[in-house]
Amino acid sequence: MDDIELALNKDYNIDLQLTTKKELPNNDVYFEKYLRDKLKFTIDGTQKKFNYIGKEYENDLVYFYLEIENINQVKTIKINNKILIKHFPEQQNLIKSNVGKKNKSILLNNEETSGILEH
Amino acid sequence: MKKIGFLLLSFVFMPQFNAQTKQGHTNENKFRQMYDLLATPNEQHNATGAPGKGYTQQKVDYVIDVTLDDDKKQITGAETITYHNNSPDKLEFLWVQLDQNMRAKDSKTPDINTNKIPEKLSKTRFEKTFENEPFDGGFNIMSVTNVDGSPLSYTINQTMMRINLLKPLASGEKFKFNINWWYNINNHREDGGRSGYEHFPKDGNNNYVIAQFYPRLCVYNNVEGWQNDQFWGRSEFALEFGDFTVNITVPEDHMLGATGVLLNEKEVLSKTELKRLAEAKKSFDNPVIIRTQEEAINFEKSKATKTKTWKFFAENVRDYAFATSRKFIWDGMAVDINGKTVMAYSLYSKEANPLYGDHSTRAVAQTLKTYSQYTFDYPYHKAISVDGQMGMEYPQICFNPGRPNPDGTYSDRVKYTMIKVTIHEVGHNFFPMIVNSDERQWTWMDEGLNSYLEMLAELAYDKNFPMSRGLPKNIVNYMSGDQSKIAPIMSKGDNVYSFGNNAYGKPATGLWMLRETIMGKELFDHAFKTYAQRWMFKHPTPEDFFRTMEDASGVDLDWFWRGWFFTTDITDIGIKGVKKFYSSKVDEDSVGFIEDTSEGLGFSTKQSKYHYEITYEKPGGLVMPIIVEFTFKDGSKERKTYPAQIWRYTDDEVTKVFSSSKEIESIVADPDLETADVDTSNNSFPREKSDKFDKFKKEIKG
Repeated sequence: MDDIELALNKDYNIDLQLTTKKELPNNDVYFEKYLRDKLKFTIDGTQKKFNYIGKEYENDLVYFYLEIENINQVKTIKINNKILIKHFPEQQNLIKSNVGKKNKSILLNNEETSGILEH
Repeated sequence: MKKIGFLLLSFVFMPQFNAQTKQGHTNENKFRQMYDLLATPNEQHNATGAPGKGYTQQKVDYVIDVTLDDDKKQITGAETITYHNNSPDKLEFLWVQLDQNMRAKDSKTPDINTNKIPEKLSKTRFEKTFENEPFDGGFNIMSVTNVDGSPLSYTINQTMMRINLLKPLASGEKFKFNINWWYNINNHREDGGRSGYEHFPKDGNNNYVIAQFYPRLCVYNNVEGWQNDQFWGRSEFALEFGDFTVNITVPEDHMLGATGVLLNEKEVLSKTELKRLAEAKKSFDNPVIIRTQEEAINFEKSKATKTKTWKFFAENVRDYAFATSRKFIWDGMAVDINGKTVMAYSLYSKEANPLYGDHSTRAVAQTLKTYSQYTFDYPYHKAISVDGQMGMEYPQICFNPGRPNPDGTYSDRVKYTMIKVTIHEVGHNFFPMIVNSDERQWTWMDEGLNSYLEMLAELAYDKNFPMSRGLPKNIVNYMSGDQSKIAPIMSKGDNVYSFGNNAYGKPATGLWMLRETIMGKELFDHAFKTYAQRWMFKHPTPEDFFRTMEDASGVDLDWFWRGWFFTTDITDIGIKGVKKFYSSKVDEDSVGFIEDTSEGLGFSTKQSKYHYEITYEKPGGLVMPIIVEFTFKDGSKERKTYPAQIWRYTDDEVTKVFSSSKEIESIVADPDLETADVDTSNNSFPREKSDKFDKFKKEIKG
């Protein structure tokens, strides 16, 4: 939470104050903008737009809920993820996927910002 | 055609072929003892996990004179080292650590870190990486001499220096020599590091948190010989115990805190400060401010040209550090440790107040109390927390993060992070400052054990403390990740992908699970305390920890150490299926069981006793207890825990009968998420359909 708050504050020149009484009421706008900028999904070769459903906090974590609709089947998911790496060059982004009973996982970082999950 | 013929032929002969040459196998049972993984016990580290009768340990005493140049931001030092060879071996040379050379111009640390051209970089980072000359923060060794002043031969290999002895140092002998040096202090806020200075442009002052500032002897022990592995920047330190006499010269308007007993307090503290200090030593409930914020603000307005020398003596410590600034506010509070008074202190600049004033010293006090309760009474006279804006630990002093907003307010998040790190760093006084494991090789032995005890201290500080790292459910994301990027806990810190999870989170979770789920509090606490007491002021190995935990509890944990510490296996235990039976009398001497094949867990007819034959599956490689909660149709619940040994004959699935006079509504495995089960979708029966995503979406969209 601290890291994403710092990244957004710097990138958009705002002061989010997450989980405090001074929390920006419209902060979802910034989160959605940030995620659209840093996170791209390509499913079976076609880039797909996601819906931003919302977020929730749990201790020091923020969970974002995104969905991509109208997917009948999935063979490959290409992820392009630059979340947090501009301000935290050591950031590691763990990606996991679950399709049917198959779980896949890749670890992205500053050097590898995209990867493919094959199902 | 030929090919088909061959296949047919093989098919026909297959059974006989198999029967004749069936492959054997070695013992792969997950409960086999760890003879293949642990070093054989010996006279130094015995079979119970205690120091053996042949255990030896070197001692190194230091007399250090060190001067801080506030203008040039340099440290200049001279030391006399007395090395006591308590080992049975003769030593041809001594190894000394030059940790600051990790920051030398020619350091190889940047060279082993791979990089690529990034798309975008912040301007300061760009300048640092691609334009500026590298900062030269290495040691400049001016002289290495014998006590008579004659030069002593030495060889520097990066962060290590070999002292070439004229004649070998015999067992039981001691050797005395001098080193003179200086180095440029790094700005740790800009360049990172475990020590350095922070610059305040508004008033032109610096806060110094100084450590690894003197050439330090390497450990020579019964396991590694010389621990002279290079310092690459991550895997920390291995150090010998000894007595330190240290004189620190700083500008006279500085307030200073350091390892050891202050010998000349009348020379360096004002009369008012001495009076307040005496009050603090009697105040067990609230910190007493010894140098106030107003006084500190006055000092930071000008810069003294004169200096003052602070004199300390530290007995039986493994290292030395200090913090100094004219900006420092100082408070202190007495802590009662089993009848002995220990002082908890904090040093902080106004930028860290009121956060530090509110919580720092109290967090120190809580740590000393809780850790003493679970290990041994804190043997030193004080512990200091410094507003150092990092998280780093040294004997009796540590540097911590967290500052309030400029208007003095602070969020709960900032508060809890600051308290959490403070407890952690103060806790390091126990592991590894006293229970002195080898950090260079085994990061988890201090970070993991300390992260576990930290949780108990946090809960004692505030029973609603937001716990994160250390709880089994919070390690799941890491453990279920890409296996090619996960290392076993038993790996050297420099070589692991996810340092925090690997060396802090996972081992802490393992201990939490042992205490809460596998061993129980009483057995665990006694064994853990036994380990701490056996190895206080000594150098334990992983074997000593594993063996002591079993030796003192009577619980065989080889299966747990093997799986959790030596592999990257995961927990996944689920309920595969349930069959329902009721009994019926067959004749005078026997009772038969009849299956009820109706849907769900209910029975089609009323019975006096309901029998459920439950098959548990284990797709995960780890063995763990099976914890099951049965919820009956009337809403009441019953729990059953089958020990991990239920998996001793099979690693795939087991079947177990549960009988009850009440019909079951639902069954859940690991209902409280105690075992770090990475896939809970198979944990409930009947299967739960909606996941976290569905629940959230429903809540949002209504």
